[in-house]
Amino acid sequence: MRSREQHWLWVVCVVAGLTTVAAAQIQLSGLSAAAQAKRQHVELLTDSVQVTAGKAQDVELSFRVEPGFHINSHTPKDELLIPTVLKVDAGQRIRNVSESYPNGTSYRLPIGDGETLDVYQGEFRVRVHLVAARGDSTMTGALRYQACDSASCFPPRTLPVQIAVSGR
Amino acid sequence: MVVVIALLFWAGVHNLRQRRQMALGHRVTLIPAAPASDDSAPDAEGANLIGKTAPAFTLKDLSGKKVSLADFKGHPVVVNFWATWCGPCKLEMPWFQEFSAKYQPKGLEVLGLSQDDGASAEDIATAAKHIGVSYPILMPDENVAKEYGGVDYLPETFYIDSAGKVVQVTAGAPSKDQMQALIEKTIAAGGA
Repeated sequence: MRSREQHWLWVVCVVAGLTTVAAAQIQLSGLSAAAQAKRQHVELLTDSVQVTAGKAQDVELSFRVEPGFHINSHTPKDELLIPTVLKVDAGQRIRNVSESYPNGTSYRLPIGDGETLDVYQGEFRVRVHLVAARGDSTMTGALRYQACDSASCFPPRTLPVQIAVSGR
Repeated sequence: MVVVIALLFWAGVHNLRQRRQMALGHRVTLIPAAPASDDSAPDAEGANLIGKTAPAFTLKDLSGKKVSLADFKGHPVVVNFWATWCGPCKLEMPWFQEFSAKYQPKGLEVLGLSQDDGASAEDIATAAKHIGVSYPILMPDENVAKEYGGVDYLPETFYIDSAGKVVQVTAGAPSKDQMQALIEKTIAAGGA
């Protein structure tokens, strides 16, 4: 009798184990495809800034382009190319917002006769002009960009931006 | 016990199917970008079509006329997914134009499937003219892209022989010599 109980206990354990493994495998493969489709090629390096409350000033937001990739600068040479644009949301606590961009660097596509592009690679900084209220606020916005490597391109992406602003 | 055996069998079949897909995926010609990490490579789902019948589609060209892949039955066809914002696409497209003329006696047809979601036909036509291509340019349809494996990485090109089978897939712009070799292979595969 005891042997029979042990047998059934073993069966139940095996079934539960296999079911868990199968479910995890299916979930992982699904996540992998979804993550690949939405993968970002730019990351936001700045998570907080301190400003003087009520005073118009500039803050710099740092971004990093994934190694091996480039994104168009804010002023690409070809009008068909998609420029990098940071859009910061203005509100009651963060006002008079405007953005200014660094110059790009030249990058020559190594395909055929090639084409020289104006791009950001590695780290780049966008300056945001603003007036912030006293106390703690959250600056929100989005960076729209389009990334390529030396032979191919990914569709345009939007990177959400959220930064803690401390007005003193 | 029956349930355990069934689960083991299912797991084996699932595993075998995944390994076969991965093996097929490795046959895609990934043109020599320098991605930083393994997961930055494009997914190679389109490569799963190699050896299979190319998915059928009917799309509008820039003048609004419907164009079907079936219209080119018996011809080797190059289906090139591109976008106006894709620099490498713009550099390789004039080669497709050149080869479409060179291999016209062999029946070669080139179709450019724009992936410019939301762009007008006029804007795409302006870009095509700027790039210098006159082969048919077709308007975007995400369902067609899905049928061809998602096409999340441009340019992506499917070389289809005259029997309608996918001979080769490239993700990224190849060299001009590589492109010509792929076209000749596609023509030869169909016995044209």
